[in-house]
Amino acid sequence: MRIAVVQFPGTNCEHETLVAVKECGMDGEIFRWNRPEQELCEFDGYVIPGGFSYQDRVRAGVIASKEPVMATLREEAERGKPIVGICNGFQVLVESGILPFGDGVRLALAQNVMIRGGEIVRRGYYCAWTMLRHDAEEKRCSGSYILRRGDILSIPIAHAEGNLVASDRKVIERLIDDGQIVFRYCSERGEIINEFPVNVNGSTENIAGICNPEGNVLGMMPHPERAFFAWQLPRKHPRVQGYGPGRLIFESMKRYIEERRS
Amino acid sequence: MKVIGLADSELESSLRKAGIGMSVSEARSIASILGRDPTLAELFCYDAMWSEHCSYKSSRAVLREFLPTEGPNVVLGPVEDSGIVSIDDEWCVVISHESHNHPSQILPNEGAATGIGGIVRDVNCMGARVVATADPLRFGDPYGRESSRVRWVAEGVVDGIWQYGNALGVPVIAGDVVFSRCFDYNCLVNVVAIGVVRRDEIIRSRAPPGSGEKGYDVILVGKPTDSSGFGGVVFASDTLREEEEETNRGAVQIPDPFLKNVLFKANEDLFRLVREEGVEIGFKDLGGGGLTCASSEMGAAGGYGMEIDLDRLHVAGEFPPEVLCIAETQERFLIIAPRELSERILRIYNVDWDLPNVYEGARASVIGRMTTHDRYIVRHRGEEVVNVPIKHLTGGIRYERAWRPRIRNLLEPDVKMPEDLNSVMLDLLSSPNIASREHIYRYYDTEVQGNTVIRPGEADAGLIAPIRGKDFGIALSVDSNPFYGRISPYWGGATAVAEAMRNVAAIGATPSTLTDCLNFGNPEKPEAFWEFRESVRGLADAARNLWLKGYPGQPVPIVSGNVSFYNESPEGAVDPSPVIACVGVMKDINKAITMPLKECGDVLYLLGPRFDELGGSEYYRVIWGVTGANVPVVRFPLERSMIYTVIDAVDREILRAAHDISNGGMAVTAAEMCMLSDHGISIDISGVGDMRSDRLLFSESSGFIVEVVDGAEQEFVSIASSYNLNPVRLGRVSTGSIEIVRDGKVLVRLDPEDARDAWSSGLREAMR
Repeated sequence: MRIAVVQFPGTNCEHETLVAVKECGMDGEIFRWNRPEQELCEFDGYVIPGGFSYQDRVRAGVIASKEPVMATLREEAERGKPIVGICNGFQVLVESGILPFGDGVRLALAQNVMIRGGEIVRRGYYCAWTMLRHDAEEKRCSGSYILRRGDILSIPIAHAEGNLVASDRKVIERLIDDGQIVFRYCSERGEIINEFPVNVNGSTENIAGICNPEGNVLGMMPHPERAFFAWQLPRKHPRVQGYGPGRLIFESMKRYIEERRS
Repeated sequence: MKVIGLADSELESSLRKAGIGMSVSEARSIASILGRDPTLAELFCYDAMWSEHCSYKSSRAVLREFLPTEGPNVVLGPVEDSGIVSIDDEWCVVISHESHNHPSQILPNEGAATGIGGIVRDVNCMGARVVATADPLRFGDPYGRESSRVRWVAEGVVDGIWQYGNALGVPVIAGDVVFSRCFDYNCLVNVVAIGVVRRDEIIRSRAPPGSGEKGYDVILVGKPTDSSGFGGVVFASDTLREEEEETNRGAVQIPDPFLKNVLFKANEDLFRLVREEGVEIGFKDLGGGGLTCASSEMGAAGGYGMEIDLDRLHVAGEFPPEVLCIAETQERFLIIAPRELSERILRIYNVDWDLPNVYEGARASVIGRMTTHDRYIVRHRGEEVVNVPIKHLTGGIRYERAWRPRIRNLLEPDVKMPEDLNSVMLDLLSSPNIASREHIYRYYDTEVQGNTVIRPGEADAGLIAPIRGKDFGIALSVDSNPFYGRISPYWGGATAVAEAMRNVAAIGATPSTLTDCLNFGNPEKPEAFWEFRESVRGLADAARNLWLKGYPGQPVPIVSGNVSFYNESPEGAVDPSPVIACVGVMKDINKAITMPLKECGDVLYLLGPRFDELGGSEYYRVIWGVTGANVPVVRFPLERSMIYTVIDAVDREILRAAHDISNGGMAVTAAEMCMLSDHGISIDISGVGDMRSDRLLFSESSGFIVEVVDGAEQEFVSIASSYNLNPVRLGRVSTGSIEIVRDGKVLVRLDPEDARDAWSSGLREAMR
């Protein structure tokens, strides 16, 4: 089982993402943007990691979305292979139109706007640990394949543009109706509160991650590779051993590939 | 340029007209060594190399006299861009610490960003992977006469740090911020970077042995050279004057984290190639003084000369030779490598990592070669524009500066006992110098690279686990208190060292090395130079007397540092600010502890007696508006014992939380431990001492408050007594309020929510 961690100039999370892939028992390598794109077809799954591809020129993710490797990734996605886009990877997937419906740019990840009590209390870059509620059905999405609906995960964010918006409300409604909303920012008890700090970036419907209609492509702003080992978690409470919740994303991808094969 | 035969006044005016900062006597000494009039390019090269920034001409003698730079764990002391100490038999930590004060005052965003950019290059060029940064910042009074400028600078600096560091992909794991009127016109932006490297894979910033005889190539990598930052080191070596702000802007460099991100990855391929081929190269970043500084220092360090051909440089336009020589264009490195390897090196940068397509004009070019003669020669359009003895250029000059104590008439005030200590507490908690740092650190990516174990806001030091499969972690903290430095530069230096070490110990890590970034006024003024000298003496004494744990009598070595003079404007100099960073080694990251209280029923202990030394304290300044005179001192054996006790107790896993006592004293320390948790405290300070209650609560004498696991009290006390300490039992972790009692009388009773509101808003308001 081989996973390509796709690297663009400016990507900065490829190494820890590859660690996570390998720690789950998958094979993987970092795939540089200027390699022949056909070589991508040899892989069983893909992760587009976080960073600032092409310096966020024009808009986060735009330039990378025009790279030849993205055209190949789109074809591979249509074959049902799993793709997980994390943070900037999510932005690239949205700008390439692979998410949400595969038919063009329908969403934007706009600048974070933190709103509390009807007032803007902050804007822009924010790095913090957030709680996520898994809102998709079990096995709905490749990157959350082994999670149940209602599961709560603690995973950090670090971005300036993660505020998911659509100019057409129908896009959001379709995401809800078709069960494409995978993760929502929630309180420690799992409540969806549309106020900062629970809604950490002002995202519509507290959306933190979505999948395509087929479920094999997941885009999420939080960074599961940074919550992979228990020692990475904040120690506010007595410590835990072993692995953190971020591991479930990568284990999901592995399970999805295994089940698709059999 | 004509030097010989000119009268002093003529020479002075012709130097200034040309934009050269050196003195008349310096120009004359150059002409006499060369035996002719120097060229314009030569004068500019000397001007950069002999600037305070590059040559340490005022500071070197003092640093040599006092600083302990050797120790059993030192792999490389302060001779190159970064210092290196060993962690275990295999791995080393690389550390560098610099200031970027002047540029940040003029152009806060770019100034701070290039500060980060420069410091990470310094660490990377030793062959290391850069794994963390820390940012000690000093801004003016946000409520004072210059409040709007101060806020503009503070906001721009924080933006510059996050925009650069986050994009580059290096986490910020530590830092501190102090606001004081003395920084109104001179902010301080210090930056610390650490990296990791295997001991046998360290790359040196010098021409390798044999490189002259074999005529090694000199290769310049990165951004095309332009005129940005031209004169940067000379600008950094002078006092800031408002009327020169426009011209000085040109001396600020332009940062590019995106290009740096790609360059770092290409550099890893370079390091791999060198390892596989088993050859030694020289590798150095281009920082202050640009190409001339990097190339001549590498040549001189190897004992060789070199010849550079400026026509082979990749450039971003037409520039005169002196600009190409000393402009501080960012994102560049210099390689000295065997000729047979050059083609493969060029390929890494120009083809594999595709620099020319990633950034317009960026690439790697062979620009010269090493020689066995002792000259530094630069050609431009076929003409020799520089031909000087290389060691004369890099050797700089030395000044013996005069010093004279600065007399301040400071008195201890006679303050009355406040009636309402609750309101005193709330005022202190919301003071910009004590309030939660969350407003700032949420801008920083503290998690990138996935190594972060303890992040800003969780403990007194940050902790990362940069090597997968190893249990050890690297702790980092920074400290300096300008209010103590103002009263006593000596104790300002000593307490900065002690606190930085306490911070690291508070998570359980063992202090392993120190760096110093020394920010002072104009060294040509005897009072400023005295402050510098006293601070260095104080910090050196602390480093010598606090001992490397496990090596009694041996200092905690200072392996890297930087001197920043001329932090002075016509309104005056900054208060003495020797900023110290401490790196600690945590043997097992799973044992590290943080600051918030963890379990109801656990027992709280105080380490460190309270003394009547409230000079420079938050209590005096915020509540009474006075400075005072009795500055906290470091009692070396006591300090050492406290640090060792905490390290040992964490290692035995009998502490659940620890926090060092600093600004605001033990009352604020205890409150902070509550506010970060869901718990309260109920403590009784009757056994702490005889001073009046306000003095007991707010004295900033050093110490710790620790949460001891219920049932392990005896073990903790016996560890402490093995170091001749008598810890004071304060009470227990509770579910309720923050309550402090003395002799049956309640002194403080705060609702944790009220305390948290005050504490979490103070910095946000100050930076709004």
